[in-house]
Amino acid sequence: MTTTAATFSYADTSWPVLERTAAAHRRSWQMLAAPGEWWTGAERISIAAECRRASAMVDGLPDPGAGPATLPEAAVYAIHKLIGDLPNVTREWYDETISAEGMSDAHYIELLGVVVHVWSVDEFHRALEIELEPLPDPLPGEPTQIRPTGAKAHGSWPPTVWPDDLDERDADIYGGADRAANVRAAMSLHPDSVRWLSDLFDAHYLSWIEIQDVQEPFRVLTRPQRELVAARVSALNECFY
Amino acid sequence: MLLGRSSDGNDALNLNGTVRNDIDSGVEHGDVLLRYSDAAVGRTDDLVAAREALDAEMGPDAVVDCAATIANFQRMVRIADGCGIPLDSFSRTESAKWRDGLGIDNFRSRENTFSRS
Repeated sequence: MTTTAATFSYADTSWPVLERTAAAHRRSWQMLAAPGEWWTGAERISIAAECRRASAMVDGLPDPGAGPATLPEAAVYAIHKLIGDLPNVTREWYDETISAEGMSDAHYIELLGVVVHVWSVDEFHRALEIELEPLPDPLPGEPTQIRPTGAKAHGSWPPTVWPDDLDERDADIYGGADRAANVRAAMSLHPDSVRWLSDLFDAHYLSWIEIQDVQEPFRVLTRPQRELVAARVSALNECFY
Repeated sequence: MLLGRSSDGNDALNLNGTVRNDIDSGVEHGDVLLRYSDAAVGRTDDLVAAREALDAEMGPDAVVDCAATIANFQRMVRIADGCGIPLDSFSRTESAKWRDGLGIDNFRSRENTFSRS
């Protein structure tokens, strides 16, 4: 099910969700609906829909249905793997995935960007038992197929772009910093996913400025409290990194 | 190595408490925060009761902040493991002191993090 305008109105819930969180969620749905570099808007909605199908499968809930576009088989498998079988994601699996029909390393990173951001917004809702926001209608347009020219092998599986190698159109993605955190750099083959990551990171956790100050409790939870929760979530997902 | 960063500037934090429920994390309200995290990520029947316990101890703003933190790291772990992000040599050396004791050296994703760094 899709809708034209995301509301993310939390006024009718019992939870004091900050407006900046709601606004970030609305921006997320706008980014989701727009065509990307490697997937159309309809395909991106289908990636999001498949993300919800994977989650429903894990949770034993009814199938919420597929999205408006048909995805490559390897893309569908990747979505389910990332949601429901994360501990068994391997380098070999990654190599097979990006080599499959209709896929590439850039397709994979944009797909991953859609999956993790839709998943994060949905997980916020699930934790508070707020009904999931309907997926947006896709916006028209074709993928640009613009690949960052400075993408190189730097240790992560996909090529990444370090600050000194950014194209002019992407000069903003690390906020002008001369070093990039590994997680942000990991998504840099698709620069809009880095922008999305920063925006939602700020709304759900801390801004990249706030995170530098270990002692200051900028929000409700203190820094040790939020790091405790973060560490536990990582451990429950068996995430070594 | 999030767990390593967790101890920075916070001497009271017991790292063992981040992965084991039978050990006090040393963090104020840590027990209710971890109970809610376990219920939300683990999809357990305890979700409502855990959220109510957190609400009773810390208030609704803390529940929302905790839910957002959980949602954030449900995303971050998928980026890290979905991209095989390597651990830098400094973190690898420093974390060796406590990794084994926490049991995280047994995580399958360890191979991804070590294989390329």
